[in-house]
Amino acid sequence: MVQDARPALSLRGLCKSFGKPAVDRLDLEIARGEFYALLGPNGAGKTTTLRMVAGLLPPDAGEISIFGVDARKAAVEAKRITAWLPDEPMLYDKLTPLEYLEFVAGLWSVPTATAEKRAEELLATLGLADNARQRCEGFSRGMKQKVALAGALIHDPQLLMLDEPLTGLDAQAARQVKDLLRERTRAGCSVILTTHILEVAERLADRIGIIQRGRLVAEGTMSQLQAQAGGEGRSLEDVFLHLTRESDAVEGRAA
Amino acid sequence: MLQFAAPASFLWFAAHDGRLALRRVRAFFGKSAGAGRVFAILGVALAFFHALAFGAARMAADHYRGDVRSLYPTVATGMLFILPWIVSQALTNATRALYSRGDLDIILASPMSPRPVFFARAIAIAMESIISVAIFILPIADMMALVLDWRWLAIYPTLLAAGLFGTGIGLFLTLALFRICGPRRTRTVANIFATAIGAAFAIGLQAVNIAPAAFRERLQQAVQGARLTGLLDVDGILWAPVRAATGDPRALLAWTAIAVTVFALAAATLSGTFASGVVATIGAEAAGAADRQGRPARFRGGVGRALRLKEWRLLTRDPQLVSQIFLQIVYTMPISVVLWRAMGPNGSAALAIAPALVAVASNISASLAWLTISSEDAPEFLATAPVTRGEVERRKLEAIAMPLLALLGAPMAFVFLSSWRAGAITLFYVIAAATSTALLNLWHPVPSRRGDLFRRHSQSKIVAMIEHLLSLFWALALACTAFGSLWAVAAIACAIGVLMTQKPKGGVLATA
Repeated sequence: MVQDARPALSLRGLCKSFGKPAVDRLDLEIARGEFYALLGPNGAGKTTTLRMVAGLLPPDAGEISIFGVDARKAAVEAKRITAWLPDEPMLYDKLTPLEYLEFVAGLWSVPTATAEKRAEELLATLGLADNARQRCEGFSRGMKQKVALAGALIHDPQLLMLDEPLTGLDAQAARQVKDLLRERTRAGCSVILTTHILEVAERLADRIGIIQRGRLVAEGTMSQLQAQAGGEGRSLEDVFLHLTRESDAVEGRAA
Repeated sequence: MLQFAAPASFLWFAAHDGRLALRRVRAFFGKSAGAGRVFAILGVALAFFHALAFGAARMAADHYRGDVRSLYPTVATGMLFILPWIVSQALTNATRALYSRGDLDIILASPMSPRPVFFARAIAIAMESIISVAIFILPIADMMALVLDWRWLAIYPTLLAAGLFGTGIGLFLTLALFRICGPRRTRTVANIFATAIGAAFAIGLQAVNIAPAAFRERLQQAVQGARLTGLLDVDGILWAPVRAATGDPRALLAWTAIAVTVFALAAATLSGTFASGVVATIGAEAAGAADRQGRPARFRGGVGRALRLKEWRLLTRDPQLVSQIFLQIVYTMPISVVLWRAMGPNGSAALAIAPALVAVASNISASLAWLTISSEDAPEFLATAPVTRGEVERRKLEAIAMPLLALLGAPMAFVFLSSWRAGAITLFYVIAAATSTALLNLWHPVPSRRGDLFRRHSQSKIVAMIEHLLSLFWALALACTAFGSLWAVAAIACAIGVLMTQKPKGGVLATA
């Protein structure tokens, strides 16, 4: 079997401005089966980047390629193989998790038998089997987040984009989600995730990108970033603060 | 604003609630409406209603001839409209206070007695109800005082008392429903109840109009006989609000005393119950949701099926939609009644209900379109699906058709059974009206929450106006076609013309 050599996600010169640049000539590449964490301070451009990849925001300039599919020219094709999970779960309160998954599976044209089987498995894995036929309106935020995650996974996406997926989850639920994501990357799914919980990025990510003012200021494996920050054994928090401060200083000098 | 009163006192809470109520009134004029815009709209509306009231006062002067009693039936009719409306408003607002608690959670969690909180909230509810009718009623008081007699200014305190009385009754009703139906179902039942009460007088009038002539005669005799003595005597207690409005000081005093007593009784005796009611609603609906087991999903594929099924599920689970549809049917019925009676003894019931069907179809189609398009819960999620926006919109329009068919199927069958020709004409106009208002809402979506269904017309005044015009033109076109008038062509042209002015540039449905 020939392994697909095309990157899961390739961004070239991606720009988006809301008066001032939110994403500024961003270049980024994620390999198949890679778990990539995109970190950055508030307003750094993480969510804007993911929203452009998901097709929710048109970029001002630049290229977005998902497994070789030009996401700007062939949006529907690109969406067929991606999933986007925002920090606020996008659910229908009056639907049950099963009905929601049935709806999502329909939108992505997942064959009936496959959809049914995956829905059962996902709900069981995420600890929602007992709630499968209750309306989501009574669910806690964490439960809603898990239903939304199940929705993002039911069509078995090749690229999964997660914006702060662990917000509002308790320890047990966070573990379930992390296990599920690990299992997905092992199965070949590429994951790009933004998070403020640096420990999650440190433990899960193959590579970490740090974005500030819409630009990638550092990228690499944990050890590469530690080296870049000038010290092995430093925590990701130290590395993150060091690199973002350094970037601030460079910007200040340039100004 | 709150500094003049001691913290946590009744006045302090009243000021707090007054501020929230004023903001709700302001929100009615649009989310971004500033004070200047609100005052300008109110000023124009007041000038308009004063002009209308001046005409009405001049007409009343012709009947007046120095005997105020000659105007009692008119004032009583007005009262029968206003009081149920206030009760219905109070019911709606009290339910909202119970369920959309907002700040009540934090207030009731604070170390204070719930009594002043509830009392202040009850007054805010009364004020909101009064304001909702004051703009129509007070210009009448001004003009009657100007044209006839200054004592008509008594309408001001009479309306205030009516607000307190209606609110008192509304509060009692809310808590009675709470006791009978339980916290989980009260919101839905109260919505339907409020709609029914608000339209009670309109329904009553129509019921009398539809009733056989012999029954109406007997009813009239009974009322006239009862007027001489007993409760229906114009000098009796039941007519006190009417006499109060016409400036009778004793009646005004009595009416005010009754209203204040009912209101105070409701507010004072029920404050504890209200507080426990608020606590009971916490999690009640969630618990209800947990109990409501959905049917097993069948996972039959297809984008179209998935989108339609999702919309149908959400529509059938919308508690407000039922009362909204009920209200629209109730308010559209008079068209049929007036037409039927105008046709005389040989009139066709089918022909009489046809224009009402067109009006109902256009209104309900607009509401359904608004729910499925403007208040889509997860628009961004749909935007990430591998489906074009055009397909999503087409499926949503298809989804609207089914509930319309379910609702109008029986009356349409009745029209068809009466006459194939009438049925075909009605069907054509029903489809045209429903399609045009659905398209209007598709072309001009106003992102909103489903809960704002009742206020959807306040979100875009232009869309609301066009929607009413479309409904009117299509009903008119049907009537003209039914009577063989060529004016039908003009009405159709007007409807299409008005709709086309709203078509966005770049095509009917989005394609990407």
